[in-house]
Amino acid sequence: MTVTAAPEAALGVLPRADGSAKYSYAGYTVTASVNGPIEAQRRDEHPYEAHVDVIVRPAAGVGATRERHLESILQSSLTQIILVKNFPRSLIQIVLQVEDTPENDYVNTKLVQASLDFAIMPALFQTAVLALLSAGVPMRATATATAVALVSQDGSKTSVVDPSPRDVEIAQSVHVLAFTSQDELLLAESEGDFTVKEWDEVYETAKQVCCRPVPTKEGMEMVLDDEHTSGPDLRHFLRSTMEQKVASDLHWK
Amino acid sequence: MPREAEPSLNEKQFVLQALQDSIRLDGRELEQYRPLELTFGDQYGVADVTLGKTRVLAKASAELTVPYADRPLDGIFNIATELSPMTSPAFEVNRPTETEVLISRLLEKTVRRSGALDTESLCLVAGQKCWSIRVDVHVLSHDGNLIDAACFAVVAALRHFRKPDTSMEGGVLTVYTPAEREPVPLSWLHSPFCVTWSFFGEDGDIAVLDATWMEEQVSSGSCTISLNKHGEICQIAKLGGVPVEAVSLLQCTNVALIKAKDMSSKLDRWLTEDAKRRDKGGLLAELSAENDRVPDI
Amino acid sequence: MTTERPLVLPGDTIPPHLIPSSTTKPLRLGPGLRHLPPSDIIPVVAGQLITNHQKNSMWVEYNNNRYLPTPGDLIIAQIHRSGPDFYYCSLSPYTPHATLPHLSFESATKKTRPQLQPGSIVYARVVLANKHMDPEVECVSQSTGKSDGLGELKGGMVFDVSLQFARRLLMAKSREEGKVEVLEALGAEGLAFEIAVGRNGRVWVGGEDPKAVVVVGRALKETDEGRLGVEEQRKLVRRLVKGMK
Repeated sequence: MTVTAAPEAALGVLPRADGSAKYSYAGYTVTASVNGPIEAQRRDEHPYEAHVDVIVRPAAGVGATRERHLESILQSSLTQIILVKNFPRSLIQIVLQVEDTPENDYVNTKLVQASLDFAIMPALFQTAVLALLSAGVPMRATATATAVALVSQDGSKTSVVDPSPRDVEIAQSVHVLAFTSQDELLLAESEGDFTVKEWDEVYETAKQVCCRPVPTKEGMEMVLDDEHTSGPDLRHFLRSTMEQKVASDLHWK
Repeated sequence: MPREAEPSLNEKQFVLQALQDSIRLDGRELEQYRPLELTFGDQYGVADVTLGKTRVLAKASAELTVPYADRPLDGIFNIATELSPMTSPAFEVNRPTETEVLISRLLEKTVRRSGALDTESLCLVAGQKCWSIRVDVHVLSHDGNLIDAACFAVVAALRHFRKPDTSMEGGVLTVYTPAEREPVPLSWLHSPFCVTWSFFGEDGDIAVLDATWMEEQVSSGSCTISLNKHGEICQIAKLGGVPVEAVSLLQCTNVALIKAKDMSSKLDRWLTEDAKRRDKGGLLAELSAENDRVPDI
Repeated sequence: MTTERPLVLPGDTIPPHLIPSSTTKPLRLGPGLRHLPPSDIIPVVAGQLITNHQKNSMWVEYNNNRYLPTPGDLIIAQIHRSGPDFYYCSLSPYTPHATLPHLSFESATKKTRPQLQPGSIVYARVVLANKHMDPEVECVSQSTGKSDGLGELKGGMVFDVSLQFARRLLMAKSREEGKVEVLEALGAEGLAFEIAVGRNGRVWVGGEDPKAVVVVGRALKETDEGRLGVEEQRKLVRRLVKGMK
């Protein structure tokens, strides 16, 4: 199966949710719904800030520890960018439904019991951010995320951005990083064996993917940038997606 | 605990009164469905069904297991339905509601008990190895008539699904990966569809097809008829207290057959279209992908 | 007024020339902006940044689907239950209930106050809304003691529309500024109906003929969901009215 080269997104796909987004990239397709601020359950109520509830649902099988782990990572990083203090005692609920994951043609999945790949994190994260933007939830900043795998080839390690399931399988370590629109590191999770020096390299690679400067009107920077970076321009993608949404919302202006 | 919003008295009254005059809020006829749409995912066995503002996603998957001890010659087939907070914040994870239980029971009766899938064909080695087929139903958006949409999604997903090819040679079972051999479709016997009628009024004399969420809230009862395009009825479930005349129920069944035939031909058409889309380039593309041949020119 | 309306995303830097620089009037920040002391102004939602140099104000124009109560808004609330002194009513699904004091009706006393059943709807104004408290609404004008058209809405039907569309309907010049022609067009076709627009995205339509009410409701919803322009709205109304007869 060919992997989509460019990320694709549609906003407001679920008519009954406050905000929703469908995002597909690198073989992953995720749909997210955001409801909030709504009434929080007593046990989740916080007197000074909104509780951010993230629920990850795999395409097949029921969620287990693996999903809970991803949920907790997403929850803590999204709480950082949502202005939770604006809505005390309330709940902002984000449900992420995985629809498609890239298939590994070389292995038969043995288990129906889902075990989501670590490499799905960027897709989940990006969908959540898009759905939050579509719901108009106030945020400190937007954010972009990417996954980098370190694959050892002929004794030397190369870094692969947006690894395929095959890459993840043979990789020594997989890293997921997210940056806010102010170039701050928001999320860094790693799996596998790696050295500090390798992590620094991963950090630089990921930063290049996530934090490309917004092209100026003359398009000068764009041309320069394309020469030494790879992968899609996530930030630009986010902006153009929102541009379409806002333009269509405010068509009457 | 966020409550499910209930329609106001004014809305309930108005919907009932309008239905008395055969008027529906969205301008439909009483026996008219909302537009039904289906899209298949990139993978085999993913069906995304929309019915107006109702949206259901079904995903079929297969795994190798050991058959149940009391049924050594049968494979395993399950349908899992869970309503997530995506459907409505009133649904909680791991706490089944009445709606959820009803949907899963009806799907079970319609698809599994009616023998739509040949479970015997899923058995590979008697008593030792068999396929376990599982369909996960995810309700993404709920605007009434979940059952018909979910049933259509399940049938579409199963008919679209391909399981890995296997072979038996000298007592050795080989399961081929998708890279080695193209996966094969399930052995499918017939396609049942659900058609749900909602009844209104104290004597249930107004019957409406494909009720929206608002209409479901004021209905006094419903009846789900599951049948295939040959008119073979798999089950009839009559829910809600209101009694309905036997004659009108027969009439309902007749209309249901027309709707089932319509859904069946739509599904056939979408499946063929998808098969064509996947076959772009046909065999050639497959060969070149695996064996990087050098052209002899 | 500048005509420039750039797209802003949360956390963007606002170009300095778009920040009004009047020294006589205080700078007013509307929805979607956050002031970070000492002098940073940062958007928190995605939308169009609008600057008004004359009024020395700026805000972000955007669309959201969850109603956040603001004092002065006219809303349609649904009574949930009655307490000893208040009615508890809901402004939007899954949110905490707003309170409506029993005495906040025109010339209401303990004995003459209206008895509202759970599930009935009222047209009301938000009087109190802040993030730490549940909102309070009223059906009487505090200054005149008159209802001014607020109070229980009897009969009719409620239709849900987007918040943005409700705002456009409520604009003083909804035709010129909001580009909503649909109601005038429906009236011109000779349909008789009453309408009450709630800022919380609910529109109540009343009338003798249920057919007319349904047509009004459909016209509103299709205008909203289809994002129709003025000309398309006229066409839609003509088509719907034709189908009605």
